[in-house]
Amino acid sequence: MSVPGSESPTPLTPLPQARRRQRSPLPVVLGVAALVGLTATIAFGNLNKSLEYFVTPSEYAQQQAQLQGRPVRIGGLVKAVQYEPQTLDLRFTVTDGSVSYPVQYRGAVTDLFKENQGVVVRGEFQGNTFHATDLVVKHSEEYNVPKTQAELKDMIKSAD
Amino acid sequence: MLNLISWTSSASGALGQLSLLGALLFSVAGLLLALLGGARRDPRVTEAARRATWAVFALVSLSTLVLLAALLRDDFTVRFVAEHSMRASPTWVKVTGLWGALEGSILLWAWLLAGYAFILSVTLRRDALRPWALAAMFASLVFFVGVCATVASPFTPVATLVADGRGPNPALQNHWMMAVHPVLLYLGFVGLSVPFAYAVAALVTGRLSDHWVVVTRRWTLVAWALLTAAIVAGGWWSYETLGWGGYWAWDPVENASFIPWLLTTAFLHSIQIQERRGLMRSWNVWLIVLAYASTVLGTFLNRSGIVQSVHAFAGGPVGPVFLGFLAFLLLAGTLLAAWRAPHLRDDNDPPAALSREGAFLAGNWLFVVFAVMVLVGTLFPTIVEAVQGRRDASVGPAFYNAFAIPLGLGLLLLMGVGPLLPWRRADGQGLWRALRPLMIAGAGAALLALALGVRHPGVLATVALSGYNLLGLGLLTARAARQAGGLGRTLRAQPRRYGAYLSHAGLIVLALGLAFSGTYRRDAQVTLNMNQRVHLLNEDLTLTDLETVTRPDGRSIVARVLIDGRPFSARLNTYTQGGDTPFPSPAVRYGLTGDTYLVMTGVDPKGQWASVRLIESPLVSWIWWGTLLVCVGAAFTLVTPRRAAQAAPARLAPATD
Repeated sequence: MSVPGSESPTPLTPLPQARRRQRSPLPVVLGVAALVGLTATIAFGNLNKSLEYFVTPSEYAQQQAQLQGRPVRIGGLVKAVQYEPQTLDLRFTVTDGSVSYPVQYRGAVTDLFKENQGVVVRGEFQGNTFHATDLVVKHSEEYNVPKTQAELKDMIKSAD
Repeated sequence: MLNLISWTSSASGALGQLSLLGALLFSVAGLLLALLGGARRDPRVTEAARRATWAVFALVSLSTLVLLAALLRDDFTVRFVAEHSMRASPTWVKVTGLWGALEGSILLWAWLLAGYAFILSVTLRRDALRPWALAAMFASLVFFVGVCATVASPFTPVATLVADGRGPNPALQNHWMMAVHPVLLYLGFVGLSVPFAYAVAALVTGRLSDHWVVVTRRWTLVAWALLTAAIVAGGWWSYETLGWGGYWAWDPVENASFIPWLLTTAFLHSIQIQERRGLMRSWNVWLIVLAYASTVLGTFLNRSGIVQSVHAFAGGPVGPVFLGFLAFLLLAGTLLAAWRAPHLRDDNDPPAALSREGAFLAGNWLFVVFAVMVLVGTLFPTIVEAVQGRRDASVGPAFYNAFAIPLGLGLLLLMGVGPLLPWRRADGQGLWRALRPLMIAGAGAALLALALGVRHPGVLATVALSGYNLLGLGLLTARAARQAGGLGRTLRAQPRRYGAYLSHAGLIVLALGLAFSGTYRRDAQVTLNMNQRVHLLNEDLTLTDLETVTRPDGRSIVARVLIDGRPFSARLNTYTQGGDTPFPSPAVRYGLTGDTYLVMTGVDPKGQWASVRLIESPLVSWIWWGTLLVCVGAAFTLVTPRRAAQAAPARLAPATD
């Protein structure tokens, strides 16, 4: 311990070179590299499972090969709602005007869930039906038919 | 942006804006004075800089008060009030409206920063560090007060007068925790500016001896405890309002508060190595610079909208400004540290692997890797967009859990090894003897859990490590108490050590709560018809009553449900400014072994049925109680130790403080 406030931590008589044992930094470096590598492997190894893409039905149709069997979020407009409050079974179609997919969900929805709402559903495709695990109902006060995919996404995202 | 002030439209707006501009003026003056005082070594100039903090604090307090008064008086001539408040809100919501939106929250930040600078100015020792520490505080103040007075001013004139304001975000008035969580969080975030200022001062003056570490330990501990409480309070807020029965979703904003916590926790441990052994000097400087920068990074992430988040206030021009400040902090910190690198020589050889500092160092690395991984996960969607050009990828909780669980278990393991090891070097023989009973305790705890039906490896590992840790802390305390002749005496002699033990015990309670509630949460949904019993998750539910309550700021539908004979009343609140969007307010029955959590998810307009979601999670309450223990322990470490009459004989239990 040096005295607090002393200008430099080196002792008054500098030690000769031989006394300063230069320990190789290699074990530390290797250990840290191993730790980082291990953590990164664990995390990125299952990144494929945990990375979720947010797509519109048209985009999903184009990229079906890549996205098959992994969790996705689909954003679009709600059509053809069938909801049975007693059993909590919800079926509807999510569409972006050109492509549409049927969606199944089990859970309560409020009265706000109706035709032409923007919606984001999270889940997986089984065959051509989307089995949703979560749905985020978005509702914008003024509804305009979006022109492009990006516009639709922005509308859904911004309509809080 | 240019039209900052208008005398005619609003008196209080003009007053608030003027005092902010005055505070900015004093901040800039104080910064220049502090730099001059440091460079010239002139105590009179430094004194002037010190007093400038008082002026800044007074002026920022004045503008905060003006805004608060405007909120309470429904003065819609002030833009912030017109945009984020309304007449019908209850008083407490109007007060919390102060930090319920971007401009107000930055004003709160600036005000707390000014407060910390004021306290620092009073407590600073008259030494060479003083001007530079003040200068670093002023640099932060110039930025935050500057942002507050210009690009994110709550006081800029309104174009048209409104009869009633737009009202606060409904999600933020659904629970009283909103009055607590942001303030605590900012107290923690801003508190880190003080150790940062000291580190800068130590670097600039080249006084890298250990004085700055000793001084900043208390500051860091206070900030750390507040940050811990704030993060958990935020989790509690989500638990009580968001209606999914969870408390942590690895949301970008949660991560943004968690990264500084990880780095600060690492810093709290590594400064002890520096205090005791004179090692890790450069590491500590880097760590505190990064921790403070990460608070700014978090604010940038959440306020710029670069990462979409539940908490992101609407963007505005604040993002780039924060990014600039972040770049400045990192650049200045790096340059300073690099310039001083030759002086950051340690007293001794690097720590041996089998020693307390070795365990601390290993823990430090785990914390830093943890922080980096959380940061990578938070930024990953942005990185994917930059590299692949495809928008809108998001990283689910699975990504985080994959590394958070192993790293967390590793930290629990080191937490049990560190206190057992002496400083400098342990002999393997003694360590093995000390570890054996703990291993047995851990194995026993795991076997007990196995017998009780726990099969999940992560939970089993948590239980084993908890048993091992608790016995270790208990044995160390008991041995010290025996040697000192009484528990009270040893607690008084070394509050630091036992405060740390208590915090560790609290973390173990918290870890158990996380492990069990995360793994064994059960959740089911059903529609209840009036007065018909339904069996769900081993419980019998009966809907007994549905009623609509009208509040001044909206309506609530209250469902009264009997669960196994005990009454629950879950609410669906709607707010006038939120349209028809329902905000559920779950009914939670807290229990030592588990919580019963009931959310109403839908309701029949005719009042014949209500859809509910029932969630049962074991040991959730342990998270809140564990946090309380952590904070009490942290407070206890700040107690001044009572000097023992005779020096403790050497070679007792390894010294910790």
